[in-house]
Amino acid sequence: MRAVTTAGLLTLALVGSTGLAQQAAAPDKYVTREEHEKVLKELEAIKARLKVAEEKTPAAAKETEQALDEMDKELKSVKSLATSVLPGSTKQLLTGYAFAGYTDRKGEKSNFEAGFNPILLWKLSDRLFFEGELELELSRNAEGGGETEVELEYANLSYIASDYATVQAGKFLAPFGTFAQRLHPAWINKLPDFPLPFGHDGIAPNSEIGFQISGGAPVGPTKFNYAAYVSNGPRLNTGMDEPEEAGMLHFDNNVDISNNKALGTRVGFLPIPQLELGYSFQYAKIGEDVDASAYLHGVDLGYVRDSQLLKGALDLRGQWVWSTVDDLTYDPTGALGFGPLSFDNKRDGGYVQLAYRPAKVNQPFIKNLEAVGRWDTLNRPDDAPMGVDEQRWTVGLNYWFSPSTVVKAAYQFGDRSDRMNGQQDVNAFLVQAAFGF
Amino acid sequence: MAKPVCLTFAASALVLAGCQTSHSHRAGGQATPTTAAGAGQKGGSQLWAENCIRCHNVRSPSSYNDAEWDVAMHHMRVRASLTAQEHKAILEFLKSAN
Repeated sequence: MRAVTTAGLLTLALVGSTGLAQQAAAPDKYVTREEHEKVLKELEAIKARLKVAEEKTPAAAKETEQALDEMDKELKSVKSLATSVLPGSTKQLLTGYAFAGYTDRKGEKSNFEAGFNPILLWKLSDRLFFEGELELELSRNAEGGGETEVELEYANLSYIASDYATVQAGKFLAPFGTFAQRLHPAWINKLPDFPLPFGHDGIAPNSEIGFQISGGAPVGPTKFNYAAYVSNGPRLNTGMDEPEEAGMLHFDNNVDISNNKALGTRVGFLPIPQLELGYSFQYAKIGEDVDASAYLHGVDLGYVRDSQLLKGALDLRGQWVWSTVDDLTYDPTGALGFGPLSFDNKRDGGYVQLAYRPAKVNQPFIKNLEAVGRWDTLNRPDDAPMGVDEQRWTVGLNYWFSPSTVVKAAYQFGDRSDRMNGQQDVNAFLVQAAFGF
Repeated sequence: MAKPVCLTFAASALVLAGCQTSHSHRAGGQATPTTAAGAGQKGGSQLWAENCIRCHNVRSPSSYNDAEWDVAMHHMRVRASLTAQEHKAILEFLKSAN
């Protein structure tokens, strides 16, 4: 109705205007002064209405935009809900990593190797969580033949007890330093092999079976994190099975050999977000038929700096581990063929690693390169059956295809020394491709 | 052997902390973080960058969907000793940037 009136008035106004304009040409058609002013007033009223309508247009557009945004959010929410009901994505996530490598070490046969570590994460509730990792690797068995080694890397149930504490039970990665717990996966480790204290025949635990409480808390401008655990702990090789390893601690204590448990802890301190300092300790009664204890302690340092000033990221790591086992006499009767043997069973070792990636350089190839250098060492008792001291310098170059896909190439200058054989070079060339998914 | 190594670690830590502080002062009012304070003072994106890079390269938020991030972040909360606030802030950021 209003529109019709408006249109009528507009017509009148136009007719009126035309009439006025035609007054001179058509002197027989007159419009009175009153009629003229009435038309003008109505014209003014129409103009005012048009102005109001014009002002309303941007506001209406804004309302439409808001409505579209809300629809977009709603659509995203519905999409997320739809995705969340798909099998495998509601509460579970299959992740993990895989690698393939090649090692050519002096004095050993060159070898290709491969591994696959699937990880299942399962969020049972907002507080209850399961994580499990299998380690599938190719290895050589005792008869010299090949086999596929399957290890349960970890499997544990965790419960978030408070904002600053989580309780875990099962097999978990050892919070002894940071390498085993956070840095060992092939797509994270910046070199193809492990530092000596954490590798095969190392002196630090990689995992524990037991119970753990851990968490982190801000303290003023700094932050602390902690972990404390009770576990099966290590067992001592007394030479019964492998005489050449008498005195060594074995950390794969899947079935405890005694009722004694290990106690351990790690405390980390971050004075600034880029720097973390840690101290780890473990005490354990070891041995099935001997009364002896092991004391392990270690320090670790991590400094990661990603800045425009450096045109990339600098990554500095360092860890040192000390292991002390009570003095014992191995093979006291000489029945095993190497005793009686006593030695001061103290070992230590560590590594320092520096990596730099120019990720902020505007050159696609260069920004994906990463240079790595590492020094690692392991010192064993001179009088022990395998009293070998080792040290290595490793330089490596990595190329990152994505944040979790890398190809690494490294050359290692290494030597081993013991009383029997003196010093031997164990230089090596290593290549590895790793993919985290 | 133990004492020199301990001293080396302590000295390195002091030097690194010192370098960081002096650089931050030069940075003036820029967003360069100078403390390890918790989520109360920092946004999810900053916490995400600071905590992830401490161990590995930072993965894109689009690597996982919202439901997957929900599970992955629970895992990382335990592994990286994140507080509840840090966990919440990072998860919200990842979902918003996904």
